[in-house]
Amino acid sequence: MRLKLKDLPEENIFSSGHTACAGCGAAMAIRNIAKVLGKEIIIYVPASCLSVFNGLFPSCAWTVPYHHTVFENTGAAISGLSRAMKRKGLDNVTVVGIAGDGGTADIGLQALSGAAERNEDVIYICYDNEAYMNTGVQRSGATPHGASTTTTPVGKLTKGKQDFKKDIPLIMMAHSVPYVATASVSFPLDLINKVKKAKETKGFRYLQVYAPCVPGWGYEQSKTVELGKLAVECGMWFLLECENGRLKINREPKMNNLETYLKMQGRFRHMDEKQIAELQESIERKWEFYKGYAELTQRLYGGSEASV
Amino acid sequence: MKEIIFHGRGGQGAVLAAQALASAAVFEDKYAMAFPHFGAERRGAPVAAFARIAEGRILTKAHIYEPDYVIVLDPWLAGLVDVAKGMEGHEGTSGGVPMGSVKTDICQGLNREGAAVLNTARRPDEVRLSLEVCVGTVDATTIALETLGHPATNSCMLGAFAKTTEEVSIGSIEKGIMDVFGERLGEGIAERNVKAAKLGFERTEVGMCSGGREFPAQKKWLPDVDELPPGCVIRSQDTEYGKLGPGSTVQNETGSWRTFHPIVDDEKCTYCMLCWFHCPDGCIGRVPDKESVSVDYFYCKGCGICSEVCPVDAITMVREVEG
Repeated sequence: MRLKLKDLPEENIFSSGHTACAGCGAAMAIRNIAKVLGKEIIIYVPASCLSVFNGLFPSCAWTVPYHHTVFENTGAAISGLSRAMKRKGLDNVTVVGIAGDGGTADIGLQALSGAAERNEDVIYICYDNEAYMNTGVQRSGATPHGASTTTTPVGKLTKGKQDFKKDIPLIMMAHSVPYVATASVSFPLDLINKVKKAKETKGFRYLQVYAPCVPGWGYEQSKTVELGKLAVECGMWFLLECENGRLKINREPKMNNLETYLKMQGRFRHMDEKQIAELQESIERKWEFYKGYAELTQRLYGGSEASV
Repeated sequence: MKEIIFHGRGGQGAVLAAQALASAAVFEDKYAMAFPHFGAERRGAPVAAFARIAEGRILTKAHIYEPDYVIVLDPWLAGLVDVAKGMEGHEGTSGGVPMGSVKTDICQGLNREGAAVLNTARRPDEVRLSLEVCVGTVDATTIALETLGHPATNSCMLGAFAKTTEEVSIGSIEKGIMDVFGERLGEGIAERNVKAAKLGFERTEVGMCSGGREFPAQKKWLPDVDELPPGCVIRSQDTEYGKLGPGSTVQNETGSWRTFHPIVDDEKCTYCMLCWFHCPDGCIGRVPDKESVSVDYFYCKGCGICSEVCPVDAITMVREVEG
């Protein structure tokens, strides 16, 4: 049964009064993800924007058990929490790690990889705002090509980040875990149904959610949702789902409007035609790759198309 | 030496304003420094930045606790934070004559040397702070919306500061803005900010405010090591310090952050729940009886996402009014 918006509870598991910026994409994602996951969860958050805006000790926005330690050990901590719950016989409790893209792609990658390789029974959610936003916008592995951050500024020789975005969902697919998906705050039904599916799956589940950041990306705070839609349309973000090795593309990008997407944001404002062409080429290559990968995995792992 | 505190909200540009003011002072061959208050502040949360201006070298590097001037970038902060705090340090000790540094013209004859520069649509005599001080008021949010298109009131308040205190000339403020804003945000934006500063200078009214406003002392839970629970595990509880533990953020009134607030037209609403889903703060509630939504203004930060995502334009954003 596909979830609809009216099926979500009214009660907040992630309370109001948190101190995220107005228009925060991460807060939007996390509030709704928590509603789908329900009350029988344990939340683990490493250092990230979320660890600050969900309340600094002794204040807390979560109404469920919430645990916070250091940046690099999300994978390790949720492994331990999950095994402790099993040992106590609390099989109904889902352990959920929620990290930012820095805590996932760079600092937390080894613990994440370890937990995925052991196929721990946890859900790992990465809210991807494409830089270290908590400390004031530094580049992360997940920052896209061309984006200006405080550590990849626009200068005379280089303009913005020179490298390309690290594809963490693909790295997770390579771990052959039961469930890997990408979602976006701008596609509510897609997002909540992926969370539901993750909740119903056993083993290691990885979900990466596109979460625009108002101050870090430099756009009008009311445009968070529009930006997410444009990102999927132009191919800067793909909506994917990989179940037991079988990849499904949930929404085919139109591969247009890249320039509109870039011009909406301060971090891409400096980009000239050459840089845009480079970026366009890289996302087209990525798209070709995913199309081929989806066909290949559906042939290899067979079965019906994964349904959302 | 003059010490200045900028009170603002994250995103209004308090830090940049402090830097531009320091730069303006340097253009007048003075010594100056500017630095922010470091913390885990988010856009919209109350923040502070500091500046010092002196004729000679400045050796003090600490935070400012007894300001000569305060600049308040946000219209609601003066009602929430005791912005005049510490200014009593400048009260004259002998017959109302201020001790220490040079008096400014505008504050001449006042028994307090300091001044507060406020972003408000009210006149100085309509303002009430904890102390009776010289006040410069300007409706900076309106000016910022007119000139910049968004409520970054920093440059406009620098113009108001020049008018109120005459510490630095408006000409130097313009140079300072071009210098600091120009480097960070580009020349075009800097020029628009110069325009905002000029308008701020022109429209500022200076006078005395009334004092005696009380700000309840906030009790903070500051346990020592022995009082901390093992592992810092804390349960949801009500204490004399307010709520602690899980769910305790519900006591934060984040609604004071906004410049615009949403109004829902029940007639137009089709109850699609998109705004309910997309609200980052969970302030939109479903009203099944009316097949419409309600807004909890206690938490609404005024981001305007609800109005953007509404497919039938049932939600309009309306400018907040002081009252």
